[in-house]
Amino acid sequence: MEAVTDMSESGKYEAFMKRIEDGDKIEMDDWMPDEYRTVLIKLISMHGISEIMGALPEKEWVPKAPGLGRKLGIMAKVQDEMGHGQLLLRVSEDLMKPLGRNRADIMDDLFEERLKFHNVFHMRTHTWADAGLIGWLVDGAAIITQTNMLGASYGPYARALKRICAEEVFHAQHGESIIMALAEGSPEQRKMLQDAIDRWWPSLLMFFGPESKDTTGSSKQDATIKYQIRTKTNEELRQSFLSKYVPRIHSLGLTIPDDTLRFDEATKKWEYRQPDWKEFKQIIGNEGPKSQDRLNLRRAAYENNAWVREALEA
Amino acid sequence: MEKTENGKFEGLTETDQEYLADLLKQLADDDYLLSFRSSEWLGLAPHIEEDVASASISQDMMGHASMYYGLLGDICGRDADDLAHFRKPADRRNSILTEKRNGEGEYLDAPKYDWAYHVVRNLYYNMHKKVKLDALKQSSCSPLRDVAAKAAMELYYHELHWRTWFIELMNSNDDAKARMTAALEKVNGECADLFHLGKYAEDITAKGYIAPEAEMKDSFRKEMEKVFGQTASVFSFPDAQKENGRLGGHTRDLEDALELMNEVYGSVPEAKW
Amino acid sequence: MKITPGSVRHWKHKGDKYMSGTFYNEYEVFSKRAPDKEFIHQFSLTAPNDEIAKVMAQENFLRREPVSDLWVVRREHILTLSEGKKHSLKRLDNKDYRNTKGYGYLRKKWRQYEQNPLDEKEIMGWAKE
Repeated sequence: MEAVTDMSESGKYEAFMKRIEDGDKIEMDDWMPDEYRTVLIKLISMHGISEIMGALPEKEWVPKAPGLGRKLGIMAKVQDEMGHGQLLLRVSEDLMKPLGRNRADIMDDLFEERLKFHNVFHMRTHTWADAGLIGWLVDGAAIITQTNMLGASYGPYARALKRICAEEVFHAQHGESIIMALAEGSPEQRKMLQDAIDRWWPSLLMFFGPESKDTTGSSKQDATIKYQIRTKTNEELRQSFLSKYVPRIHSLGLTIPDDTLRFDEATKKWEYRQPDWKEFKQIIGNEGPKSQDRLNLRRAAYENNAWVREALEA
Repeated sequence: MEKTENGKFEGLTETDQEYLADLLKQLADDDYLLSFRSSEWLGLAPHIEEDVASASISQDMMGHASMYYGLLGDICGRDADDLAHFRKPADRRNSILTEKRNGEGEYLDAPKYDWAYHVVRNLYYNMHKKVKLDALKQSSCSPLRDVAAKAAMELYYHELHWRTWFIELMNSNDDAKARMTAALEKVNGECADLFHLGKYAEDITAKGYIAPEAEMKDSFRKEMEKVFGQTASVFSFPDAQKENGRLGGHTRDLEDALELMNEVYGSVPEAKW
Repeated sequence: MKITPGSVRHWKHKGDKYMSGTFYNEYEVFSKRAPDKEFIHQFSLTAPNDEIAKVMAQENFLRREPVSDLWVVRREHILTLSEGKKHSLKRLDNKDYRNTKGYGYLRKKWRQYEQNPLDEKEIMGWAKE
């Protein structure tokens, strides 16, 4: 087989697609179509920066966590979120290196609002039950989207996801443990939990993104499926979430704020009330309830510490 | 004193228990408060990799506090969580250094935390802890010896971590040196009570629970001079300061910290969380 | 759910744009799980210098497993193969003579002489004798 550099562009593209179809893994220095690189940079930067931004709503509950064990558990969890951000940003940074960009540019893109973060992390947390719910259901949703990409054609991303998913299992159980204590607790505690579910339900449905780009005008799911970065569509993932979690929520005697929610035996699909996709667009456009507060927190910390990075520049 | 089947501290007189409880509060409250202050940095460190690495140290410290509260609970018959959350400021025995806020601003609202202060405070605290744990490993009280040996194992990394940051920043550019010097001055105003052993100091050392203050201070000075030897600065240590945390004197920062840390735990009486 | 937007944008960026980028030097991290195990690659991190890189490595990638040794290597010091050169790694599957597979008939032979074959399992087991 001839060296990749000697091929024509279309030859390279065909060889590349063949590698993907054969289940080979693409590595960072390998030839790849510009579109593949662009799609990956967009996807993984957003994923990584969402982990970094996702640390903030839970961080609010670190000092308040009730008990030494809870304080330790949530500290470890927030640390993992930052750690996932580290893994993913490293993958993304390697992809953008040939374009002359690095982590400073990613942070810049976040601050200048060119790089967006996941819709759930724009929301306010109200009580300790929200901290538990994030672990249980938000991380539960994240496990579903992330395991869907474990076989991704891009090797470094697949390897990062493997590490991440292993830790998400701990996160989900950390969340379940908080939820279980509240569900089995006093009437105040149970109410705290039910309120949290009522508040977060629309955000959880939005988590998986719109069914198609007809819903919101854009969706990157088509390209990611073409390049075998993921296999299932947004809607398939949402259905899988509902199948796994609706029965669990009900089993604890909790309710879901959607009276149209039902499993249709004929189509084998969940029917549910659509969340407000206009609102989704607003939220991911950094116009959610806590979007600017959290961005400002991140901006302030970044600028405040700029002297450290400057001091240690060679 | 040896462990017995019925309790780790059985056979101790009431006064001995009181001495030991005071020492345990010093050790536990130190780690508890500084772990909290460090955890406020979560997500806000100058570098993502550092954020992850130093979060482990905060957790380890909370773990050490938890072990000490466990022992304290054995003595006074209270739950470790209650001891951590419900004791009033006047009953706290932590050093002033461990309770001070990280800088201007609140942790959720445009905090202006000072990384130079964080590094210097942690270097001083951890080096002090190293000296103290070395002394506790020789304690006449065996449960204390056991816990000290466990904590010392993890402290090795903590001390290395903060020493590395200290030396790197002290030897970098002028701006950083100026910030580090300012942080050293600030820490010097808050650390005089680090080695103070509280109101039972003489009894605590006479019983052989821990080495005398002067002896530990001397070891500390030697260790710190080695670290400062790798920079262009000279080590100094204060003799006294306004409040002495070991005697229950504290700043407003402690009240604020405890209020935040107890918010949920104290919100529903008798609840399990 | 009704949206009440958070506080207004007040971002005026100074950032790290003027920096040369050496704060983000790349390092690869390898670790050993136990003294008798081999080094395996974990992941990469960025750090401004070797000293900082070394104190970042374990807690970033090895928070939940035992570690008995650690290597932190500057990525630029690792020699890699280009995509084309990776073709040099492929070979034919006709090298039974390098493996015990090519000598499997010996098992039968030794039986004829009423001896047990000295196969891999048997020989590696001598370590415990």
